[in-house]
Amino acid sequence: MLRYLTKRLMLLVGIVFVISVGSFYLIHLLPGNPATVILGFGATPEAKAILYKQLGLSKPIYLQYFVWLGNILHGNLGVSFISQTTVSSVIRSALPIDGEIIILSQIMAFAAAIPTAMRSARKPDGIIDRVLGATSFTLLSIPPYILIVVLVLFISIKLGVSGTGPSAYVSLGTDWITNLESLSLPAFTLATVSFVVYYRILRSDLIATLQEEFITMARSKGISQRRIMWCHAFRPSSVALLGAASVNIGSLLAAGFVVQYLLQIPGLGYTLILAINESDFLVVQGIVLTVSVLVVAINFFFDFVINMVDPRISRE
Amino acid sequence: MSSFSLEEAELMVEKSEKGEPLGLFFWICVFWIGLNVFGAIFANVLPLPNPLNENFNAINVGPGLHHLFGTDDLGRDIFSRIVYGSRVSITVGIGAILIGFGVGAPLGMLAAYRRGRFDSFLTTIMYVLLAFPAIIATIAVLSFWTPRSLFKIIVVIGVASIPLVYRVIRTATLSVATKDYVIAAKVQGATDRRILMKELLPNIAPIAVSFFLIGVATVITLEGALAFLGLSVNPPTPSWGNMINEARTVLTQNVWLAFFPSLALCLFLIALNFIGDRIRSHFDVTEVKL
Amino acid sequence: MSDDKLLVVRDLTTTFATAGGDLPAVAGVSFDLARNETLGIVGESGSGKTVLSRTIMGLQPRVNTTVTGSSIIDGFEVVGASENEKRTIWGTEVAMVFQDPMTSLNPVMRIGKQIDEALRVRLGMNRKDAKARAIELLELVGIPSPVQRYNAYPGQLSGGMRQRVVIAIALACSPKLLMADEPTTGLDVTIQAQILNLLDELKERLKTSVILVTHDLGVVATRTSRILVMYAGRIVETGTTRDVFYHHRMPYTRALLESSPKVANKSHTRLVTIPGRPPNLLSLSDGCSFAPRCKYATDQCHLVRPELQPSVEPGHTFACWNPLPINAEATLP
Ligand SMILES: Nc1ncnc2c1ncn2[C@@H]1O[C@H](COP(=O)(O)OP(=O)(O)O)[C@@H](O)[C@H]1O
Ligand code: SF4
Ligand SMILES: [Mg+2]
Repeated sequence: MLRYLTKRLMLLVGIVFVISVGSFYLIHLLPGNPATVILGFGATPEAKAILYKQLGLSKPIYLQYFVWLGNILHGNLGVSFISQTTVSSVIRSALPIDGEIIILSQIMAFAAAIPTAMRSARKPDGIIDRVLGATSFTLLSIPPYILIVVLVLFISIKLGVSGTGPSAYVSLGTDWITNLESLSLPAFTLATVSFVVYYRILRSDLIATLQEEFITMARSKGISQRRIMWCHAFRPSSVALLGAASVNIGSLLAAGFVVQYLLQIPGLGYTLILAINESDFLVVQGIVLTVSVLVVAINFFFDFVINMVDPRISRE
Repeated sequence: MSSFSLEEAELMVEKSEKGEPLGLFFWICVFWIGLNVFGAIFANVLPLPNPLNENFNAINVGPGLHHLFGTDDLGRDIFSRIVYGSRVSITVGIGAILIGFGVGAPLGMLAAYRRGRFDSFLTTIMYVLLAFPAIIATIAVLSFWTPRSLFKIIVVIGVASIPLVYRVIRTATLSVATKDYVIAAKVQGATDRRILMKELLPNIAPIAVSFFLIGVATVITLEGALAFLGLSVNPPTPSWGNMINEARTVLTQNVWLAFFPSLALCLFLIALNFIGDRIRSHFDVTEVKL
Repeated sequence: MSDDKLLVVRDLTTTFATAGGDLPAVAGVSFDLARNETLGIVGESGSGKTVLSRTIMGLQPRVNTTVTGSSIIDGFEVVGASENEKRTIWGTEVAMVFQDPMTSLNPVMRIGKQIDEALRVRLGMNRKDAKARAIELLELVGIPSPVQRYNAYPGQLSGGMRQRVVIAIALACSPKLLMADEPTTGLDVTIQAQILNLLDELKERLKTSVILVTHDLGVVATRTSRILVMYAGRIVETGTTRDVFYHHRMPYTRALLESSPKVANKSHTRLVTIPGRPPNLLSLSDGCSFAPRCKYATDQCHLVRPELQPSVEPGHTFACWNPLPINAEATLP
């Protein structure tokens, strides 16, 4: 277990290193002078000179990387030349919104996927299973940006449910009920996207688990069907579910970007797209770096949890 | 995949059930994909109005005889725009996945066949790359690598898909490479090239084809998202994604504008995913478990 | 039905609906089992032993499976009973030791919990008592330091230890009938004897009837009072252990004996395997299923299936048109 975790931890360090190099190098993909990129076109020569010194821009590129890395490690992601606020404060105010949407969506997705998958797996190819199978397959092919447009059209526009449409965002601190209303459609969209994946993975894994000999063994003890499903089948299968959830995080964040953009909810996604359109590249770089590291960290955390659930994994 | 993540596409490929018949719906899907591809290729010889032609005498016309799917707020023919728009989606989808397979598949097969240091080295690198969330990387690179073009989009998504293709193909090859007939062929002195081409390739083909198709669907979804965020090809060139994006601002005036491209996209994705799913479950027959 | 019969099986048939058609895995099996008796069921791999032993207790797969006939365990008719009804006898009346201890324990559940479960759910014990009893059971089946092992996961135990756990689980609710389906097949030879001796000892101590299923006649030689020989889902010979070993009439039984390392060939030099392969159950002929592999087969054998008929000893029956002579004894030790 300890050895396994150490190995994973070393991999994590390697991955974060790659991410940092990638993010650092992004600036150099842009045509032209990095100083211009960072400060914007209207920057004075004096400001550029200071920046040159500060970032060591005249030094070789690998030294620049270490200067940059040093700054990052001190929490200094630079300053947005549009808003003149620090990138880290921009991220700090946007990130919780993504967190809230994702947590809400995951609660809904798990609450829907687990019972339905259990139901399907109990009678594979039964009527319920078929209906759920066809529904999930169709939903699987509907992109989140279409889903959110449909939801906005029907719920906000046709039904006129207030507080759910574009620009309706209210922060959690202001009023939590209105806040939930304004995040309900995005959360529902992400929940649907996740539900489909979770349902399908869990269902097929459960069906496989239910074929296992230890399930027959559990049956032979004379315990109830419900107990067999929850205590014997679900736990081994939940490993697959957690794995899916872990893999899902990256695409969930991205789906979140899209729905935020549509509804103008000032989370990371909306902030990112605005920054891209305004060529505020330090903000873009900061968000990319933060999100990537977060995803990797979350994956690592899930690894750890999966390990706790299934003692087989760390032993192999 | 609805959530433009190849990782999930991979999960789906691994988890589908086996030995099912293809069925009628499979062929309907094949026909539908064929029709779309045909339309994309021959869009300029088909009797379609110019998709860029603005006609201010026929703005926001509903579906009808004259304009099958109606017109948009600039009077452009929606049907024609959808057919032309499929070009972008299909090109990006196939192009990117071709890059992913072109690099990832041979590497994956070789690694699984050779094993040893070559395999562990390559696999470690790929796992590190895999951990980098591909979709975020794609957005990041596309936002810095300006000006954007179809070519750049294909390259970026294609490169991002390499590690995943590698992993899928490697896993599939591994499960075949340990089978008796492959070992027998080795013992009988068959050349590596022969074993790879004659023994391994045909056996991993169902998984590869399936992952290819589902991968194309995923990339098309992703391209749509990029278009939606304004990171794909620029208007006025139509693509399914940017048509939906433009339409959402006039949802209340003209629902058809969003409806038809969305429908085209969804039907195309459903068909692709279904074909991919079925190919895998039909051809990949493993022993029945007792 | 007399009271000394714990199990009465009549014309039991198990058919699986498969893609290739109906597969009769067990066909027309009848026998009785007395209290405290140990019965052996032997046959090649694939002859239907597992399916039979599961069907007897109603544990056959729940889908695509048809069971007819009758199997009465201590007055309870298993065939046709619902899962809920069967649950009332599982564990308490009849329990099973599974073949492969690597797969029959839940890998993500501590072994203590797996023993507790039956005690708490079936016997209504509280957490503390169940734990104490579980540790007792672990001790009973010979697991060293049971208190520590209580918290182990199956993956942390060796195969032999796991099989002991499986036995502990099976015995948890003191069943009257214990089905042991090849309980030692997956284990090392040295461990095999230990486990079999353990089963013997526990059987004596707990007054349980046992059905011992195996493909290896060596396993049942000294441990059973009677033996059923199975081939292609049917009983082809049955009698006391002694009769089956020394007075068998069916060529298949002979072949089985010859292929058993411990019985036939003390020197362990050469193992005679039965030539040919078991028949495809999806396309059985109307004749004797063994005919394609039998050196005594005649035309009649291929056309008409022989029914079980009595031999000279009481309770000894066999199904064969051209039975071996009665003094077959001479050829075997
Ligand atoms: N669930 C099932 N579905 C279809 N056929 C099965 C199933 N279980 C067992 N069989 C078939 O029934 C026959 C008897 O199997 P089994 O009882 O496991 O044999 P044994 O235990 O004697 O080795 C085999 O031919 C096997 O293929
Ligand atoms: S009936 Fe005929 S084929 Fe069958 S075992 Fe007897 S002699 Fe052999
Ligand atoms: Mg068996």
